Amino acid sequence: MSANVAEELPELHFAGGLPGFPDVRRFVLVRLGDEHSPFSVLRSLDDGPDIAPAVEFVVTHPSLFFPDYEPEIDDDIAARLELKSADDALLLVIVTVADPVAASTANLLGPIVVNRHTRAAAQAVLGNSGYATREALVPHR
Amino acid sequence: MLVLTRRANQSIMIGADVVVTVLEVRGDQVRIGIDAPRSISVHREEVFRELEAANRAAASPASGALEGLAALRPPTERERRP
Repeated sequence: MSANVAEELPELHFAGGLPGFPDVRRFVLVRLGDEHSPFSVLRSLDDGPDIAPAVEFVVTHPSLFFPDYEPEIDDDIAARLELKSADDALLLVIVTVADPVAASTANLLGPIVVNRHTRAAAQAVLGNSGYATREALVPHR
Repeated sequence: MLVLTRRANQSIMIGADVVVTVLEVRGDQVRIGIDAPRSISVHREEVFRELEAANRAAASPASGALEGLAALRPPTERERRP
């Protein structure tokens, strides 16, 4: 895998949109910062009367910040994204950027699951998982 | 809101292919079974609403904040487990 997911998967398609953004389906991934940056920007390609232009989300690989994170992806998402094995899936998490940036958090309750071959994507909803929508990226000192 | 009365093991159909079945009623808790096509996602409402709120809060951060974030690196093993 390349250092940053943006080179690997330029365009993602969320057939069902995302919670809160049901009509935004097509996104491009753009690297945020230099080649060492762990972050990418997921930028929408869809706009319309009800959609703000270019909705953006900052995303990162959860393994970089949360090495113990092992969400269980349910069969429905696997079927919808046509995932045949765990290797087909790429996991991203949405970052809520805070001020200062060291206080930024990641949404581990709703990881983004991507089929790395078809670029079909969906946001999982891990009910009963114990994961939160705002887990600190950097541990508190 | 449409209100229907059902007993345990009775169902409600929503459209032609969503079936909601009351499985068990015990005290103030009701167990519900849902049969729906895979294209329809089913969630507990409070979890879905939490995710909606989190997505809205994360959407389209200020570009000034992004510059600082690009320099943030994952914590090292030592920083993670002091």
